[in-house]
Amino acid sequence: MKKLLAALCGLMIVAAGQALAQDKEKLSIAALRFVSSSPIFIAQEKGYFAAEGLEVEIKFFEAAQPIAVATAGGDTDLGITGFTGGFYNLAGKGALKVIAAQSREEPGYDFVAYVVNAKAHEAGFKSVTQFPGKTVGITTVGSTFHYNLGKLAEKRNFKLEDVQLKPLQSIPNVMAALKGAQVDAVLLPANNAYALEKEGAGKIIGWVHQETPWQLGGLFANTKVVETRRPAVEKFVRAYQKACADYAEGLLQKDAQGQRTFGPKADELIAIIQKYVEPKPSVEQVKGSASYIDPQGRLLVNDIYSQVRWYQANGMVDKTVDTSKILDLNFVKGHLDLPKR
Amino acid sequence: MEVRIEGVSHRYGGLQALDGISLTVREGETLALIGPSGCGKSTLLGIVGGLLQPSTGKVLLSGKPPADCLNPLTYVFQDFALLPWRTVAENIGLSLMPHGLPANKRQERIAAILVLTGLGEFAAAYPRQLSGGMRQRVGLARALVVRPAVLLLDEPLSALDAQTRELLMEEMLAIWAQQRSTRLYVTHNLDEALRLADRIAVLSRRPGRLREIVEIGVPLSERSKPDAAPALAALHARLWTLIRSEAAEADREVVNA
Amino acid sequence: MPERSETSRPVPFRGGGFHYVPRKAVPWIGFVLVLTLWQALCSFGVISPLFLPSPEAIGVALWRLSESGAIFSHLGWSLQRILAGWAIGTAAGLLVGLTMGIFSAARSLGLPFVSALFPIPKIALLPLLILWFGIGEPSKIAVIALGVFFPTVISAYTACDSVPRNLIRMGQSFGLSGQTIVSEILLPGAMPGILSGFRISASIALILVVAAEMIGAQHGIGAFILSAGNLMQTDQLLAGVVMLSILGLLISFILGRVETWVLRWR
Repeated sequence: MKKLLAALCGLMIVAAGQALAQDKEKLSIAALRFVSSSPIFIAQEKGYFAAEGLEVEIKFFEAAQPIAVATAGGDTDLGITGFTGGFYNLAGKGALKVIAAQSREEPGYDFVAYVVNAKAHEAGFKSVTQFPGKTVGITTVGSTFHYNLGKLAEKRNFKLEDVQLKPLQSIPNVMAALKGAQVDAVLLPANNAYALEKEGAGKIIGWVHQETPWQLGGLFANTKVVETRRPAVEKFVRAYQKACADYAEGLLQKDAQGQRTFGPKADELIAIIQKYVEPKPSVEQVKGSASYIDPQGRLLVNDIYSQVRWYQANGMVDKTVDTSKILDLNFVKGHLDLPKR
Repeated sequence: MEVRIEGVSHRYGGLQALDGISLTVREGETLALIGPSGCGKSTLLGIVGGLLQPSTGKVLLSGKPPADCLNPLTYVFQDFALLPWRTVAENIGLSLMPHGLPANKRQERIAAILVLTGLGEFAAAYPRQLSGGMRQRVGLARALVVRPAVLLLDEPLSALDAQTRELLMEEMLAIWAQQRSTRLYVTHNLDEALRLADRIAVLSRRPGRLREIVEIGVPLSERSKPDAAPALAALHARLWTLIRSEAAEADREVVNA
Repeated sequence: MPERSETSRPVPFRGGGFHYVPRKAVPWIGFVLVLTLWQALCSFGVISPLFLPSPEAIGVALWRLSESGAIFSHLGWSLQRILAGWAIGTAAGLLVGLTMGIFSAARSLGLPFVSALFPIPKIALLPLLILWFGIGEPSKIAVIALGVFFPTVISAYTACDSVPRNLIRMGQSFGLSGQTIVSEILLPGAMPGILSGFRISASIALILVVAAEMIGAQHGIGAFILSAGNLMQTDQLLAGVVMLSILGLLISFILGRVETWVLRWR
């Protein structure tokens, strides 16, 4: 009899647990195991999602492209990653809506560097104006690195066609090509750039934020999810914004001289980030690759329009893509740099 | 020319194929080598032709070759061995290649042999376009074009049907009459031997030994006449009794390929 | 017998069938049917253009590519790499393969190397080749040449083996020199095997050019397909695949012509 009672009690506890879990609304998000996905990790670990009554499953991918594909195809409800030509083509087909900001190139926050190989540097390649006639390694056609170079060409008045682009598919390939002096220059994230400089293989001649600040990535959702489960997405964005604020408070502070400082608040966040990012970064590496993320998740809206225009002008994004249709600006209040009507 | 085979033996690994064969092919005659399969008659022909090395013994050629002889010993093969990518004339020309004749001499010889073998209109044909009989005529022409002293024929009619065989036998006899040569003719067919040979050497099987040499008294030109029939029938019967039991043995052997 | 005539009847036919007879119209009907079905599924929104663009979209993409001339530039670059790589690999492969086919010592020496190196996917060596030859054309051509080399070696020496030995004995019996036997009997006899090896090596070259162009190439069909994939331009991607298949058909057509000419004696 006692046994039966115990079993019944057990059953009830399980059922209650399930009922509790059922109360929580489920959402899934596709992300990279990069520091730039930090707000998601923070919101998860600090219980911001749970506090909104959400049960969020983070699905990890190896590259930006599959994240957009998985979200557009409905395998995940949301996604967070960088904006690429491929992303805009997918979003342009109506399957995705950009709802909040991820990283951006913000003056004073090192993220992507222009790196020149040691020999070319010695031979006088020391300024970002000297790209014409050089060979430059990028990951893929239509990648953020490709776009950075295109924007640099616009700003510095040279033709992108005068630069020999070598798509090498992966960051390790790009690093190897620079080391082997197969290319004159590359664009790389801070930690990779530091590593090359430390080895003496390359020299950092500048940072993208010094030349062309831009909205590098965003949080986006499957269009059907936005339409049918709007309240859940709103809850998600609220939790995300809270995490963004934590991130900014912990990792984006500057001292009176304008140098970045990392206070005690940073340590807690770094521990969370180290738990998710692979390969597991050191504390210094986390600090090195902590890109700027708007504290309220606000997008540089006008910049997204200009990105799409650039990709369209270069034949990488379909002319029919309408930028206004890939944005849903109602989840976050006060987006920045709104296009003038 | 005369071919003297002196004490020739041959072993393939542990198998004794030929054992102490001694015999002479006389100038201008056709000697048929017959025996059941596995008696080593093709091996013996290979040794005479210089394509195989005997384990012991030797083969000697003596006498004077014909005036225009380029190659004293040539072969006619059971499977014709024609090059499919060469025309009839080019196949015949192949055996002239090592002798460095001027082009006109070469053409002359080829033209003459095409006529002799009845291939005149097929000079430009490829082997695949020809019947089996025509193919073997090419094989014969290729062997004859160098005017050999000794012709080695390795079952030349075995791959042909009975009627073609009959036709070719007639033609070969006509050619022998025109071009003097010594012939060593390997066959397993008694009728062929009785039709074409002056003498028949019978080999036993495993190891191949010379059992008997039979002289056919009837002249070649008389062989197909009815008068010769009884004598040839008697010879046929005698030869058959010689090889019958061994042929049966060969027939029942399980072959491990 | 007349009383049996009432039971006489014709022998029922029970032969026929089980024999391939080409029907000329059927492949075209099938092709059109599949395209129509595909187009219909796309037009009525059953298949999202996100996952499979319609034949129409692919056609438009191809048309735009040929209008801008980009298609010819990509085909030209790829063809150039294939030709160079294939020619080098084939020349070297024939040299080594025929030597192995003729000389027993060469075969004994070469066989272990060929057996060990043949199964390696040559594309795995691309990073190494980039270190040796740089990121430009030489490394791409080297990958193709390497991929073509080994199958050519194998087809060359097996083609030599396939020349009937009795033809060689025949040549010897007529006193032909070794050199003449090689040039007049062995090589022509090995030709069918060598030519069918060309078909295999040409398709390997096609596969490898696409793979090789995926690193550090701005032009070429492989580079085009990859960048279309990176940009999620699925219509362009499939247009690239169509180009590739046309290139493959073109190569096999040319090889077929060469084969019927060289082997006209068959």
